[in-house]
Amino acid sequence: MTPPSPAFASIGREQWRDFWAGTRAMTPLMAGSAAFGLAFGALVRTVGIDPWTGTFASVSVAAGASQIAIVDQLRVGAPAVIVVLTALVINARLALYSAALAPVYAAFPRRWKLGLAHIMTDQSAVMTVLHADKWPDPVRRRWFIFGVSGPFVGVWVVGTVAGIALGPVIPEAWQIGFIVPLMFIAVVMPALRTWPALTAALVAVAVVVLTKDLPYGLNVLLGALAGIALGSLVPTKPVPNVGEEEGPGGVETP
Amino acid sequence: MRVFLIFLAAGIGTYLIRISGILLLGGPRQLPERVKRSLVLVAPAAMAAIIANSLLLEGTQWRAPGAWHIAAAVAVGVALWKKSAGLTLLVGVVVFAGLLAAGL
Repeated sequence: MTPPSPAFASIGREQWRDFWAGTRAMTPLMAGSAAFGLAFGALVRTVGIDPWTGTFASVSVAAGASQIAIVDQLRVGAPAVIVVLTALVINARLALYSAALAPVYAAFPRRWKLGLAHIMTDQSAVMTVLHADKWPDPVRRRWFIFGVSGPFVGVWVVGTVAGIALGPVIPEAWQIGFIVPLMFIAVVMPALRTWPALTAALVAVAVVVLTKDLPYGLNVLLGALAGIALGSLVPTKPVPNVGEEEGPGGVETP
Repeated sequence: MRVFLIFLAAGIGTYLIRISGILLLGGPRQLPERVKRSLVLVAPAAMAAIIANSLLLEGTQWRAPGAWHIAAAVAVGVALWKKSAGLTLLVGVVVFAGLLAAGL
């Protein structure tokens, strides 16, 4: 190997900085990812799934809600085809993020698109679309996105391994599941700055609860699609003061 | 082995889902304005859907009103006020823990 030229080294430093900027933006959410990974790992151990298989699940699927659904279905002895299909229905929303990220990724080399796609999660996809405009240069942008996505999945896997090793160290009474809505409230609120976005969010909430009896988490997919469809009918005009609007997390239970 | 194969299949399928839009819509041609406007709404709609599902429901049942709703409402308030994900999470966790400790 030839030693890197000074120019290469300086690019490397800048890339590292951009990567780190992405990771910093995700740091608070990474704590949630690790805690949730810990809970998934504990579940794997409790159910008696092989530790390597449980770790492999977090590396290969890398989508928490669907992994938990798979374990739940395995526990009740569902047929393999149903187990896999349930997971894919739950993850179908990732196709929406993928579409939303297409313009953001458009200038990236193919290997970057293929690589970044695997580590794309709800949280990193939203963080990416919210910040992409600040990174017009495609090289700097992809390092930023790598920094947003990679470590987030990394701590998910590390959390899983720790959970498998330690078992259920987080008491049931702590209701760790609250981390899910909390994380998403933290990421999404800054995105609710326009009337279409606000409409999309409120429609999604309404449709999710109205179709709550649908199986396989289909209500989430349906809610997201309805929100996008109706939100896109609303003319774009900035919301004068977001503070006056109720966010999705503040919706009352009837 | 069966469990491994199930996760493998789910992993491959999920990867195809993840790459779908990036490859199908990521070409050099410009997307129509209408499509672009819809894509901007993916994040708020999908996030709100997940929040509603995990916060307001427990499976197919309504979640009983309590610590979840109060802590989430506080988190929404903090997020609107400070626009800091870190602070939102921190306050949300602390308030939630406090409510649970108080027996809610």
